[in-house]
Amino acid sequence: VEFGWSDDDRAFRAELRAFLDEILPPDWDEIAKGGPGSDEQVAFSRRFCPALAARGWLVQHWPAAFGGRDASPWRHAILGEELWARGEPRGPQYMNVNWIGPAIMRYGSDEQKRALLPPIARGEAFWCQGFSEPEAGSDLVALRTLALRQPSGSSGPDGHDYVVNGSKIWTSYANHAEHCFLLVRTDPESKRHHGITVLLMPMDLPGVVVREIPSVVGERYFHEVFLTDVRVPASCRLGPEGEGWEVVSYALQYERVGAARYARAALTLDALAARAPKGDPTVLEKLGAARAACEAARLLSYKVIDQRAHGLPPSADTNVARVAGTLAERAVADLALELFGAEAAEYGSFADAHFRLAMTAGVAVGTTEVNLNLVAARVLGLPRD
Amino acid sequence: VDFAPSDEQRAIAEAVEALLAQRAGPARAIELARKGEYDGALDAALGEAGFLELALGPETGLLEATLLVEAVARAGGVVSIGASALAAPGVAGRALPGPIALATAGEGGLVRFAAHARTALVLDGGVARAVALTPGSVAPVRSSFGWPMGRLPAAALRGGDPLGPGSGARLASLWRLALAAEAAGAMRAALDVTVEYAKRRRQFGRAIGSFQAVQHRLAECHVLCEGARWLALEAAWKGAPAEASAVAAAHALSAAGRLFAETHQLSGAMGYTREHDLHVWSMRLPALRLELGGLSAQLRAAAEARWP
Repeated sequence: VEFGWSDDDRAFRAELRAFLDEILPPDWDEIAKGGPGSDEQVAFSRRFCPALAARGWLVQHWPAAFGGRDASPWRHAILGEELWARGEPRGPQYMNVNWIGPAIMRYGSDEQKRALLPPIARGEAFWCQGFSEPEAGSDLVALRTLALRQPSGSSGPDGHDYVVNGSKIWTSYANHAEHCFLLVRTDPESKRHHGITVLLMPMDLPGVVVREIPSVVGERYFHEVFLTDVRVPASCRLGPEGEGWEVVSYALQYERVGAARYARAALTLDALAARAPKGDPTVLEKLGAARAACEAARLLSYKVIDQRAHGLPPSADTNVARVAGTLAERAVADLALELFGAEAAEYGSFADAHFRLAMTAGVAVGTTEVNLNLVAARVLGLPRD
Repeated sequence: VDFAPSDEQRAIAEAVEALLAQRAGPARAIELARKGEYDGALDAALGEAGFLELALGPETGLLEATLLVEAVARAGGVVSIGASALAAPGVAGRALPGPIALATAGEGGLVRFAAHARTALVLDGGVARAVALTPGSVAPVRSSFGWPMGRLPAAALRGGDPLGPGSGARLASLWRLALAAEAAGAMRAALDVTVEYAKRRRQFGRAIGSFQAVQHRLAECHVLCEGARWLALEAAWKGAPAEASAVAAAHALSAAGRLFAETHQLSGAMGYTREHDLHVWSMRLPALRLELGGLSAQLRAAAEARWP
C-alpha cells in the first residue's frame, strides 16, 4: 500500500497543467458551464482534442499499435482528473477514448480498427451511446430495438444488412455524433441479455432522426434517436451476433469511473469555500464534510484504476466508486445553493451550473440503486430472495 | 499509488491477525466490559511483539501502525491502541508507558482508559504534554460506550512536561488519524456482523437481507466504510499532515453516525442484547465521535486545513 506518484507522473501532471493554462481561452469558464454536450464546448473540443493528441496525451493509455503509447492506466487517470477539474475540455470525446476505443480494440474486426480507431486517436471523432430505451433504463436488457438481417443491396462482406427499427432515449451528444455505439436485439425471440448485438452505426444513415428532449438539466443535454428501417451494413457489427451483452458489460465497467466527476466537484467546492463567510462554524462543518466526501470519491476511484493497473478484471469496486462520487457531487451541490443564496436562482450562474450537473449524478451511467444492488450482491454477498 | 499490500505489509498483517485471533475478539471484549477492565495482557503482547513501535521505523512507519490500529479495532481489542501506536510515537518520538489516555486541557477530562492509564497525553493549545499517572488513582466512570472510562483530575490536565513547540498540532493530527483508523476498523466489524445477521435472519419466509430496502442501506454503509478506511491509510502514508488527517477523521466519524444507526436498525431487537456481538463495535462509534471536540470539530478542522 502506498499513495505516491512517480517522478514521471508528477512531471506529466505539471506539464499538462501548463498546457491547459496556455490553451484554455480566457472565457473558458463561460464555455465550460454548458456541460460537455453544449455547442460551445463541442466546438472548442474540435480544437482542443487534436492539440491533446498532437502532444501524445489523448490516447496515451492505448497500445502503441493503435496510436497510443502503452502508458499505464494511471497516466490516463491523471489526464481525466485534470481535465474534469477544468470542466472537461474534451467535450463528449472523453467517452471515445475511455471505453468505445478499448471496446473496438477488444472486439472489433481489423477493418473496424483501421477505420474507426485512428479518428478517435486524432481527437476528431464524435460518438454517442445508444443504450437506454423508453422501456429499458436501469433494466437495460429489456431493450427492444430490433435489427433483422436482410440481403444487402450493396455487396458487404457478409452479404447482408441489419434493418433496424426502434428508438433510443437520453442519448447525450447524439446531435454531434458521427457514430452511435448501438445496442440492438438481433433475435426477436430472445429474452434478457441473450440475443443482443452491438452495431457501430453511422449517424448519417437514412432513417436516423435525432430530436432534442427539452430538460431542466440544460440545453441540448438529452436526445431521442428514432430508427426507422435503417439499413446498417453487417460490417458495422461489433463482436459476434447475439453476444453484445458481453461487449457492453466490458464497456460499462470502463464507463462508470471513466469520468472523473469528483475532480470537478472538488474544484467547485474550492470556489465555494473562497466565497464562504469566514469563521461561520456551520458553514465550515458543511465544507469539511463535502471536502471529505470528494476525497473519499477520489480514493475509491483510484482503487478501481489500481486494479486495472494490476491487470485485474473489473470488480464491484467500480460501483462503490460511482456511489461515492454521487454522494460527493450532491454534498457540493447542496452547499452551492446555500452559499450563493438567491444568486443561485439565475440560470447559468456558477451555483446553478453545478447544481444542474450534480442532479444527474445518481442517474447517469447507471442509477445509484443499480450500483447499490451490485455492491449488495457482489461485495456483501446478500441473497436475491 | 498501489492499493495492494507489500510483502512486508502482508507479513505484518498476518502476524497481527494471528496475535489478535489468540488474544482479542468479541467474546473477550464482552467479558472485559462486564468487569470494566482494560486488556493489559493484549497490550503487553502487542508491545512484546514490537507492534507498538511500528510508527518509529526504520522499515515501517505511520501507515503500518495505522493498519495495526484498524486491525485491533476490528478485533474489538480493549486497549489504547490509537494512543500507543500512533499518537505517542508520533508526538514523543518514542513509545510511552501504556495504557495511554488522550485528553484535551480545555475539556472535562472524561476520557477513555483514564482509570487504567499510566500516561496521559494532554493537548493544551499549541503544545502536547505527557503526564505520568499512577494506575488506580483515577476512579472509573461507568459508560454505555464500550470502553473503560475515567475522569482525569484537573491537576493531570495541567501537569506534565511540554513536548516542544508544534507538539500540540502534531498530537491533534495523530489523534485524528487514530480516530479515523479506529472508527474504520469498528465500522467494518459492525457492518460484517450485521450483513451476516441479515443473511441468516428470516422473516416473511425469506432472508431479510434479500429485501432491497435492506440491501441498499448496507451497500451504502460499505461505500462509507471503504472511503473511511482508504482516507485513513492515505493520511498515514502522507505522514499524518493536518489536512489529510482531519479529512480522514471527518469522513470516518460522519460515517460512524450512519453506521451506528443502520447496523442497529437492521439488527432489530437482537442488536440491543449483550449476547449478540454487534454492540462490541457499534457502541464504540458514538464515543469516538465525542473525542477531541467532537465530530463537528473534525469537520471544521478539515475545512480550515484546506482553506486556511
